[in-house]
Amino acid sequence: MATTSPSLAPSRVVPSRRWRRFTKEGGAEILLLIVGLLLVWSIISSIIPNPSRYLPAPLVVFFSSGELIWKGLFPNYVGQTLYRLILGSILGLGVGIPFGVLLGLNRTVSDMFYPIMNFFQSISGIAILPIIVVWWGNSEKTVFTVILYTALFPIAFNVLSGVRSVPRIYVNAMRTLGASNYCIVRDVILPGALPYIATGARLGIGFAWRAVIAGEMLTGRRGLGWWIFTAQDTDHTDQVILGMLMIGCIWILLDRYALRPIEADTIQRWGLVQR
Amino acid sequence: MQAKLVVQGLTHHYPDEYTGEDVHALDNVSLEVEDGIFAAVVGPSGCGKTTLLNILAGLLPYREGHVKVDGVDVHGPGPDRGVVFQEHAILPWRSVARNIGHGLEIQGVPADERQRKVAEFVELVGLGGFEDRYPHELSGGMKQRVSLARTLCSNPIVMLMDEPFAAVDAQTRITLQEELNRIAIATRKTILFITHNVDEAAFLGDKCFIFTRRPGKLKATVKINIPRDRRIWKDLINDSEFTNHRDEILTLVREEVSTLGDD
Amino acid sequence: MSTIQELSIAVQRRFGRQRLRRIILGAIPFVTLAFLWYLNTANEWLPPVYIPPFASVWEAIFLLEEECMGFMDALTMGSGCMFTNHVFSSLGRVGLSLLIGLPLGIAFGVVAGMNRRIANALEPLGIFANSISGIAWLPLAIVWFGIGTATTIFILLNTIFWLVFFNTLLGVRSVPRVYENSVRTLGGSRWNVITQVYFPGALPSIVTGIRMSMGFGWRALIAAEMIGGDSGLGFMIFVSASEYKVEEVFLGVLVIALIWMFTDRTMLVPLEKWTIQRWGLVWRPS
Repeated sequence: MATTSPSLAPSRVVPSRRWRRFTKEGGAEILLLIVGLLLVWSIISSIIPNPSRYLPAPLVVFFSSGELIWKGLFPNYVGQTLYRLILGSILGLGVGIPFGVLLGLNRTVSDMFYPIMNFFQSISGIAILPIIVVWWGNSEKTVFTVILYTALFPIAFNVLSGVRSVPRIYVNAMRTLGASNYCIVRDVILPGALPYIATGARLGIGFAWRAVIAGEMLTGRRGLGWWIFTAQDTDHTDQVILGMLMIGCIWILLDRYALRPIEADTIQRWGLVQR
Repeated sequence: MQAKLVVQGLTHHYPDEYTGEDVHALDNVSLEVEDGIFAAVVGPSGCGKTTLLNILAGLLPYREGHVKVDGVDVHGPGPDRGVVFQEHAILPWRSVARNIGHGLEIQGVPADERQRKVAEFVELVGLGGFEDRYPHELSGGMKQRVSLARTLCSNPIVMLMDEPFAAVDAQTRITLQEELNRIAIATRKTILFITHNVDEAAFLGDKCFIFTRRPGKLKATVKINIPRDRRIWKDLINDSEFTNHRDEILTLVREEVSTLGDD
Repeated sequence: MSTIQELSIAVQRRFGRQRLRRIILGAIPFVTLAFLWYLNTANEWLPPVYIPPFASVWEAIFLLEEECMGFMDALTMGSGCMFTNHVFSSLGRVGLSLLIGLPLGIAFGVVAGMNRRIANALEPLGIFANSISGIAWLPLAIVWFGIGTATTIFILLNTIFWLVFFNTLLGVRSVPRVYENSVRTLGGSRWNVITQVYFPGALPSIVTGIRMSMGFGWRALIAAEMIGGDSGLGFMIFVSASEYKVEEVFLGVLVIALIWMFTDRTMLVPLEKWTIQRWGLVWRPS
């Protein structure tokens, strides 16, 4: 689809739209960067002694994946980790949203619980893990408690500010229509707070993702975090790196294609600007 | 007398940011602004006025043609040309006084001299008492006064103004236009003022350059010989000399707008 | 009676009625929790190995510091001062990582943010690095550096650098171009543009980045010390838990929370507010 501009030098060729979009969004630079990084990585691993222990070459890492998939271990680990993340996040949302709404609706309640929530948020989920391990041992319950604990606070705090951000005038308008409290929460507060809820969910799930990995390492429950930890123990550095790349990729995919679109959707659909 | 600002045969193309198609913004533009003259550039939106200003300011490199300020070729931005931008381009993290003295600070003028100069221009633009405020505490009109004072303070040879009053309300705009006129008298600066507002151009300009629609060409030059001290809105609004000039410019600009289609 | 009334009015004046109300309301859950803790100790609903008595948590400090020869010994990290040593080694790691990570992150972020091509290339790298930052690096760090300080600092630096870098980059990119143009037309050099436009313009975003990096970094450090450290608060609670010294674990957790709350409230939050309010800047990249 090359066109020439009418008055000027006819040699000015307009590049294809797809290529332009690719370069405009920095596709070429990214490609260059990835190739460059792989190259540097290969060079380093070819000059250091004992690369299989310290930094296996990219190809070695790549081929180690074949073996893992062949054995069926890899999908199993990813599945376990994702299962924990999803269930933990649902739990976090299920507790955090009602809690946040409750706090947001009543000034007295929120004044009362805000400081203590802040205090507990400051104790990271990972820090309480040893206590919970003492209570319940290295069980599935322990991991879920840590995930729930980690995801809960960002969600609750965001829902709280979301509820606060709903203009009073909407609530008053509903009141004059004779709406009940339940009705107001369902039809005004929740939809109004939705963009914040979405942001909180994204943040909370982000925290939870880190907590899952750390929790698996510390409690020895099978999953991606456990896998890279064990691989290190058994000197399989190629698998460690593969696991790390997987962790990064899964999170980016999740964030890009699930969490961000939801967030953007709620913000755009209502035409709400989030500040 | 040598003109302060000379543009000769300036032609400019650039690729459109979104579609990548070639935009022919300026076509063989030649104009001169003599010392102490207030020149207004008028034209329909998208006629390359801002492109022209960016080239004169040195923010946009040009290939075809010449641009000279005081006989020296323009290459890159410099303190010899002061620019007042359309948006509020004063820095939010500097107080009014520090914004106004910014040019002097960059030139390395000592602090006490800088303070003296800043105080002088604060008074000139009528911002006394606001020296220590931050831009977010000021109204749109006041921000543009700061912008103006900042440019004046570094004493440029030529002042370039890019629709500086486009973003303020109508009432403030009238006040600012009269103020700018007063400042032009007081400082005798050579000014190139870009606008799409015909009234504004006729009110402020000694000389109006009317541009065609894209590719921007110089279509006509209208000289306005109303003495500067007579330029007050309530007197001029019914002054036949002024209205004649304004209608002349309006007709010239209208021709361009009407051939522009639905843009 | 009247003195009490006078006192209450004086207190209300001193703190302000609304603030006082908030302080009292906010204290209620803490007091309740402390009371429940006390009741639990008295009645042993849950055995001390689950919830240790408050007194033993307090005593744990002195047990850990038993062989400490006084204040100077604690400051110089003498071998007997176990508790303060763990606190100092965690804080020292944070300090050192900030000292290295902040300037690096800000410098790279400013340079990358000013140049669109570099920014385009590095943005996805930043996203990727952020998403595996923290403890996912831990096994590899252990392979490279072994168990100890180097590993924990590597994890912390990794977290701090990428967050600061990324936020600086976004901040610089959100600074309107017209500011750069205006400084350049005043005759400003490239260095002027960096120090007077992009750095201050990105400052709110940089400060947010610092606050985030401290939040994530502190958590990552605790986890790193548990798995790959040989000292520090994280190491302390992990070892204590494996020896079922729950009072030490509680002590460590409380100290971790208090240190974070103190840093965030007294340093990071005021810093964030200061830049944003003073300059009336509202643009903040999400």
